[in-house]
Amino acid sequence: MSKELMAFERSDGRWGLRNHVLILPLHSAFSATARKIADESNGAVAVSHDWSGEIDGDFDRIVKTISGFAANPNNFATIFITIGTPNELGIIELARKLGLSKAEVLNVAELGSMGKIAEIGLQMANSLLKEAKAVSRVSAPWSAIKLGQECGGSDALSGITANPALGVASDRLVELGASSVLGETTEILGAEHLLAARAITPEIGAQIVETVARYERSINYEGIDMRGAQPSRGNIEGGLTTLEEKSLGAAKKAGSAQFSGVFEFADQVTKPGLYFMDTPGHDTEQLTGFGAGGINVIVFTTGRGTPTGSAIVPTIKVATNTTMADAIPDLIDLNAGTIADGLKTLNDVGGELFDLILEVANGQLTKAEKGLHHEFSLSRMYNTVIR
Amino acid sequence: MLRILMRKVLILNEKDNIAVCLVELAIGEVIGQDGLNLTIQNLIPRGHKVATAAIAKNEGIIKYGERMGHATTDIKVGEHVHTHNVLGDRLSTEQVV
Repeated sequence: MSKELMAFERSDGRWGLRNHVLILPLHSAFSATARKIADESNGAVAVSHDWSGEIDGDFDRIVKTISGFAANPNNFATIFITIGTPNELGIIELARKLGLSKAEVLNVAELGSMGKIAEIGLQMANSLLKEAKAVSRVSAPWSAIKLGQECGGSDALSGITANPALGVASDRLVELGASSVLGETTEILGAEHLLAARAITPEIGAQIVETVARYERSINYEGIDMRGAQPSRGNIEGGLTTLEEKSLGAAKKAGSAQFSGVFEFADQVTKPGLYFMDTPGHDTEQLTGFGAGGINVIVFTTGRGTPTGSAIVPTIKVATNTTMADAIPDLIDLNAGTIADGLKTLNDVGGELFDLILEVANGQLTKAEKGLHHEFSLSRMYNTVIR
Repeated sequence: MLRILMRKVLILNEKDNIAVCLVELAIGEVIGQDGLNLTIQNLIPRGHKVATAAIAKNEGIIKYGERMGHATTDIKVGEHVHTHNVLGDRLSTEQVV
């Protein structure tokens, strides 16, 4: 019998696994100030980005990402630093609509100087942190967990150690009523027909196939042919025979549960079950998109020891091989390389990972959190147009 | 510790007709772990696949419990399973090899 899940209940019924006060600049120019406030505060976190109000092909995607990230249930409160334009104020409104109950605003147009912003921001942050401390975790249902699956810096063992171990943990969570989300469209190319066969309806299966086809059309448009070289010569030497095999290794993160639906990038993950989200293969963009979709814990499998983490979503690093896990213990939370070493079975490590996800959900800090790996990156599809 | 010495291949799913070799396997080596009883037919490098069942030409290669391609020739138990006797169903790897 596993331990009980304890989480922070938000006023709209969502659940947070952390109780962060996030300082969020709505214009790139306030990134340094946001970080200064966070650094000087008693524990607030900040992110910085490079959006400066451009209204181009990516506008909707950027607005969705920033507002969703602000409203992530792991945030007790979000302090926005804004220039006061209607578009920026619109992002704050959107975050409120998504369920952010404590939205504080530092408006440069009203406050005048950056010094004033930093001063008032620090007071505001410390006061909110005090309020946040007074809130206790309470017993939560399994549906409170919204797990994001990520792999970065993959190696020949990814598909047989860390990824399937995550699959075992994901299957258990889905069975208990949690949400679990596979992303990275790039990494299922070649195996999407097999994942589609696991969809609960033919329509959802067709959506999985179409999501990959759409991505393929976009890279063909850019003149890139990914398929001719897959699997690569190195992959073949390592023992991978077909493209399906390679992508199945990456898709193993999703275990064997059925797919209940497909999300667009940064869509809100509200229902229990296993889902696919159309996200880029770029680690930081994908972690940010997951955060914007309300995902509150991430498992990140890695062969090379990618340090990437998130300011607000605890990110658990699982090593695919023992050599790397031993070399950088300050980055790795769990070593799945023991499966290839013959020391443990997939089910052993999957069970350990399940327990670790629960510990982290209940408040245990991940290595990425301890190391303050607070990466944030906006995903763009088009050239940036300045207006 | 005996278990470490014994485990030479990894069975990823009970439906699989292949296992992944955790060490390089030599011709004539006998694998008896996990209920298997097979004799290695060719030198198989670490990370590569070995047939744990007889696979007929055009039959699916099952890894992770899923079809990852098909046999281009009959494959015997204990034989190396790779690009020389397997093709993807959707996309051929011929041009790469």
